Amino acid sequence: MKPPRFPGFLLFLAWLLPVGPAAAQASGVPPETGFTLRETEVRAKPFLDAVPVGKLPERTLVTVTQRQGGWMLVKSPAFEGWVRMLNVRLGNVDSRKNDTSFLSAIGFGRRPGGMPTTTTGVRGFSEEDLKAAKPSPEQLQKMDGFAMPAAAGVQFAAAGRLSSRAVPYVDAAGKPVKGAK
Amino acid sequence: MRPARLAAGWWFAAGLALLAAGCATQQQEAFMRGVGGVDGLVKSVTQLAGGVSEPEEVAMGRGVAETLLGARPLVDDGELQRYVNAVGTWVASQSERPDLPWRFGVNDSDHVNAFAAPGGVVIVTRGMINALNSEAELAGVLGHEIAHVTRRHHLQALRKSAAMNLLGATAAAGAAGTASRELVSALVGPTQELYARGLDKSDEFEADRMGVVLAARAGYDPFGLPEALQTLARIKADDPYLALLFKTHPNPGERLDRLAVAMGPGFDALPDARQNADRFLNATRRLKPLPR
Repeated sequence: MKPPRFPGFLLFLAWLLPVGPAAAQASGVPPETGFTLRETEVRAKPFLDAVPVGKLPERTLVTVTQRQGGWMLVKSPAFEGWVRMLNVRLGNVDSRKNDTSFLSAIGFGRRPGGMPTTTTGVRGFSEEDLKAAKPSPEQLQKMDGFAMPAAAGVQFAAAGRLSSRAVPYVDAAGKPVKGAK
Repeated sequence: MRPARLAAGWWFAAGLALLAAGCATQQQEAFMRGVGGVDGLVKSVTQLAGGVSEPEEVAMGRGVAETLLGARPLVDDGELQRYVNAVGTWVASQSERPDLPWRFGVNDSDHVNAFAAPGGVVIVTRGMINALNSEAELAGVLGHEIAHVTRRHHLQALRKSAAMNLLGATAAAGAAGTASRELVSALVGPTQELYARGLDKSDEFEADRMGVVLAARAGYDPFGLPEALQTLARIKADDPYLALLFKTHPNPGERLDRLAVAMGPGFDALPDARQNADRFLNATRRLKPLPR
């Protein structure tokens, strides 16, 4: 006996509709500091074939102001331009000096009210919590109630202007895995 | 096929019992000859894990999920739960196992983590959702968990661990005429232990690569997962919110280094790769009442 889920989905899909005009896909982020992991080409635009602006040596401190796809817009004393995101690591050059807490990393520190001063009250999912846990069939049933038929997933994708495409899996070296979609 | 598996299980259980006793007796030698020596034993074990049927896998995962949700319940926000199910179901539809009974949930924990259980259950913490900035990031994180499910990483890990003792023992019970329910319930505990211990590093790296590809197939910006890892990479290693995640996974910096090699330049030019940050922020707004 399946619960009468469908009206819920219709409501859900209706809620998706006011998505508005295509949002810009570049995401502005609050300026953050980072550093180059390796010698890195800086380009005028976030494309591999864009005009090179210059090169940043390994371990150059940069300020990251924007992100687009696999690219970051960075500023250094020498250049401003786009670099491949995976050539940059956020935080300190010496990761041992990384003292960023989770709450400040996700922006709690920038919010009114500031950060909680103690973490002893963390609502947990620690190793101990896991080991002490008692099964909750009610919660599982609740989760079943939110499950989505594949067709609703397709509608959800269309509402978000997502179209599927063939992309092969890659191995550790980046080679396409044979026989994959 | 099934009787063969159960028989293999029996032999394996018997083998473990003998090996555990630590006595190199004639009996043991006879046993090893019976299963074809060490090679035969390894083969039996392989057959056993490979032989867990899909319904058994699903039942196991549901048992594990009951306990994960017993540790922390779902966030009481139907809109958020349906949203995460929509993203997850869509991403899972790009995998090799679209027809599993996929279930996605956000639990009420401040810790940053995500869990997959066999058969299609994925739970992410509220803390993880708070650490993300777009639907593309969420798709990458869910894609990573979906890959653990489709590749049966937990079952593979159990196969390699002492939990096989239980698997063998219950399979032996199965051979004696009892149902596979015992097999399933006996595996729930050891699977839970995996969440405290973690999977093999190589499985995590594989899930990262597959998560990126699944998100890309679903039309998302494939750099969502790397971006989420960037956020985690700059958090100090002993942060209590990430203690379990950091204990059970390779550090985010290493994961990013591996992804940099695996992704190469091949994922840069996917046309119309979307982040859908607005839709994500809308669906999660009650978790993030204040704008960033």
